[in-house]
Amino acid sequence: MKVLNKVVSSVELFNQEVEQRVCEARNDAKVGAGWLQRWGEIQRSIPQVITPTGISLPRLPLPELDEPGLIARYLCGEGLPGEFPFLSSVYPEMYLEPEDGSKPQEEPTRLFAGLGTAEETNARFHLLTKSQQSHRLSTAFDGPTLYGMDSDADGVFGKIGEGGVAVDTVEDMERLFDGFDLSDPQTSVSMTINGPAPTIMAMYVAAAKRRFSSGVEKVLRGTVQADILKEVQGQNEVLFPVAASLRFLLDMMEHSVSHFPKWYPVSISGYHISQAGATPVQQAAYTLSNGFAYAEMMRERGVAVDVFAPRFSFFFDCGVDVEFIALSRVCRKIWAIGMRDVFDGDLRSQRLKMHTQTSGRSLVSAEFKNNLTRTALEMVMAYMNATNSCHSNSADEPFTTPSEEYVKLASHGQSILLEESGLFRHMMNGLNGSPGMKAVERAVEAEILKEFAEIERLGGVLGAMEHRYQRSQIQAASYRYEQQILSGERRVIGLNRYADSSDAELPSVVRVADAVKLKQVERVRAFKLKNKEAAAEALDGLSQVVENGGNVFAQLIETVEVCSLGQITERLQRDVGVFRPMI
Amino acid sequence: MGRSNLVSDPLRILTAVPLCDGHDSAVMAVNQALIHHGFEVVYLGYHRSVEDIVRAAIQEDVVAVGISSYNGGHLEFFREVVESLAAVGRDDIGVFGGGGGTITPADVVLMKSYGVDEIFLAGTSFEWIAERLRELYRGRRDRTKYEQSTVADDRDLAMVLSAVGELDLDEKKWQRGSAKVIGFTGPGGAGKSTLIDEWVRGYLAGKPDGRVAILTHDPSSTERGGLLADRASMVYAQNDRVFMRSLATRGRQGGFAPSTENCLRVLASMEAGFDHVLVETVGTGQEALPFEGSVIDTKVLVLHPEYGARVQLQKILMMDRADVVVLNKTDWASAARAVEEVMHQISLRNGGGVRLYQTQASEHGNVGVTELRKDLLG
Repeated sequence: MKVLNKVVSSVELFNQEVEQRVCEARNDAKVGAGWLQRWGEIQRSIPQVITPTGISLPRLPLPELDEPGLIARYLCGEGLPGEFPFLSSVYPEMYLEPEDGSKPQEEPTRLFAGLGTAEETNARFHLLTKSQQSHRLSTAFDGPTLYGMDSDADGVFGKIGEGGVAVDTVEDMERLFDGFDLSDPQTSVSMTINGPAPTIMAMYVAAAKRRFSSGVEKVLRGTVQADILKEVQGQNEVLFPVAASLRFLLDMMEHSVSHFPKWYPVSISGYHISQAGATPVQQAAYTLSNGFAYAEMMRERGVAVDVFAPRFSFFFDCGVDVEFIALSRVCRKIWAIGMRDVFDGDLRSQRLKMHTQTSGRSLVSAEFKNNLTRTALEMVMAYMNATNSCHSNSADEPFTTPSEEYVKLASHGQSILLEESGLFRHMMNGLNGSPGMKAVERAVEAEILKEFAEIERLGGVLGAMEHRYQRSQIQAASYRYEQQILSGERRVIGLNRYADSSDAELPSVVRVADAVKLKQVERVRAFKLKNKEAAAEALDGLSQVVENGGNVFAQLIETVEVCSLGQITERLQRDVGVFRPMI
Repeated sequence: MGRSNLVSDPLRILTAVPLCDGHDSAVMAVNQALIHHGFEVVYLGYHRSVEDIVRAAIQEDVVAVGISSYNGGHLEFFREVVESLAAVGRDDIGVFGGGGGTITPADVVLMKSYGVDEIFLAGTSFEWIAERLRELYRGRRDRTKYEQSTVADDRDLAMVLSAVGELDLDEKKWQRGSAKVIGFTGPGGAGKSTLIDEWVRGYLAGKPDGRVAILTHDPSSTERGGLLADRASMVYAQNDRVFMRSLATRGRQGGFAPSTENCLRVLASMEAGFDHVLVETVGTGQEALPFEGSVIDTKVLVLHPEYGARVQLQKILMMDRADVVVLNKTDWASAARAVEEVMHQISLRNGGGVRLYQTQASEHGNVGVTELRKDLLG
């Protein structure tokens, strides 16, 4: 049986087993007494916390159960926070303020930045982190970089540094993280790059080696997105044919899990699938199935599950639809069961660790300040779902690379939620377990499993991709969404409801000056001129590794010393071909 | 033979997303809506350069180009498209566009000042887009009186193809040249476009002076509109040595469009001067014989391994007429069985002589495609 079908059977079997435990607890007095005793022990072990207003609350409130069957269903089917199947959360305490006043287990706030040249983005990073102990540097790249092109390529001038930072060479990468100690356990870097991810990651490693001692690889912390499957399905930043793209990615993942033990070499992403128009269920189903596909490919390469699976991370979108009150919980459950029962992974492999971003698509340009409310609502749902980290969008994003004013509001929004409000500080599960949440869980889980069966019927993730299954489903959903907005069935305040034409205020738009773009063009030209001869030789060396089946990523760490991103992309495209887009 | 009145023909529009931009959900939604409103939309796809857009607009002889831009750089990009069209004497081709909030109202004013006809911002209804495009471009193009007799470049050729329609062609003017005409047909999903594109990739690399024309077909759907999207995935065919034209079937059954025969004669003419002309039918059914009575030299039937039971193969009429049979997607699990069945079926044919190639066109430099290329060039 194929992997996805095995996952479907495992989840169904798990649900049946839970119900068997419930029956046992009810029908066998001895078993029932055992559950009651355990429940009592758990309740007694939970410490109390005194709120600033002076009331006493349990740090982990539990449902009010006094019947053995229901207790068994809760403990086996949902699990306490940090316990299989991790419906509540992957760790016991997440963002709770520890009793001894130390740092919470998770510091979830992330802010994505990238604008202009490496120096400007570096300055933004310093601004964002100046009052923070830990430095979480989340990097957005500009269009030419996302497509593996140099800033001096024909026709890209207008796009240099727009929406993200321009990185052409290892020298740009050094400038980007100047002044940050990349070997510090408090520093973590995330790079949102996919098609050219192996080259960009190689530049990051090479830059770190240049600035710190060799051996710094072992302590590098962070994530590179690198999820090529979702690119083919939704976001369209693909440089090479699917088979070659997967080979380069797997080369990087394999090298990373054995050489950079603290790095996450893939962030399996539903965000872009959702942004391309997918429904919440589609987002969850395609993302999880992509995750299982990567797991299968790594296993086929002979990498042990407990080596690679703990280094997988996930990335989800959180929008305003009701599914989001429980979507991530269900994802954690399905992943945990799949990794345990289909892949024989240990507890670390079973934990789905996720980053959540509030939904860019839910933001609109009409009466854009309403976007603050949309983002706030989405953040609440993301944290209700115990996300490991969260990026909150800036209200001005429909127009522009976020301005400092709105970046600050987005950042402070998270602080208000986590530090100022009492929602997540004192209690785990403050909002869990409502009847509505359980209803959404059941509905969403059933629909995800149906999608898995359909993908499997079409030949698994890759076969379904060849049939354009995911793409056409996403496009159909996108078309429905647009029609719903136009017909008013989907209400968007300020756009198709309560719109006030007198309120046409616009934020100031951040654009990159031509002089800055020119500087980047000249810089990459100078780099290529300086390394002209060495580059020709390095590119031939790279081609040789492509040809003889060696690890392309390991070679790229050398190649980037003298070659630009565009030179490497062109050479690899000559060797393995160009991706033919799917409509 | 009479001709249809071109003024009432569907409006042909080219749509694309600029270089380094992969945001295609809006443009796909607009494509669908325009088709529904009776437009023929030639979709070039995303991450497309100004050069690709202008070349396609000229070759397809569209009335306008629509560009959907989401991640910045639109001021420069639109201006370059407008200027490049003017530079080749085709400033009659309109330029319009749209995007999310990244295009500000101030940008719109600026873009209109340098020749962009219209920008549709977020929240614009599809009805309004269709109405506005009709208002802007209906009646702009009338090729009925076009009488070009010499074909100096792509631009002339494109306009001739629009003008010939279903007229009786002047045989002397469009005398057959040395071009070899190769027809590709087969069921939808067999991978014909990918096969042709991979064929062209190797052709361009191996023949530094070779010029090739490609005529592709897609079905017209409701209300006469149609999505012509072969260009979106045929990346190697976007080249100055390739002339590509996409036709909608406009109600014609069997694989071709009403103007296909005339277009083929023009493309295969001495005047047009191509070395090879490739024509791809729409995805066809078992009974289709699209190449009967046509100027095709070599008939290629492309199949994929999932044609069903063996008996289905016996029902494909083209199996008895094709010069070459290509079994594509040989990486599929069912390929081995299919090869055996197709070989058997071919062996039953009277006279024999049919050549079989096994290809995996999605693979870069595929051996089967290389062999097919050699055969068809021979």
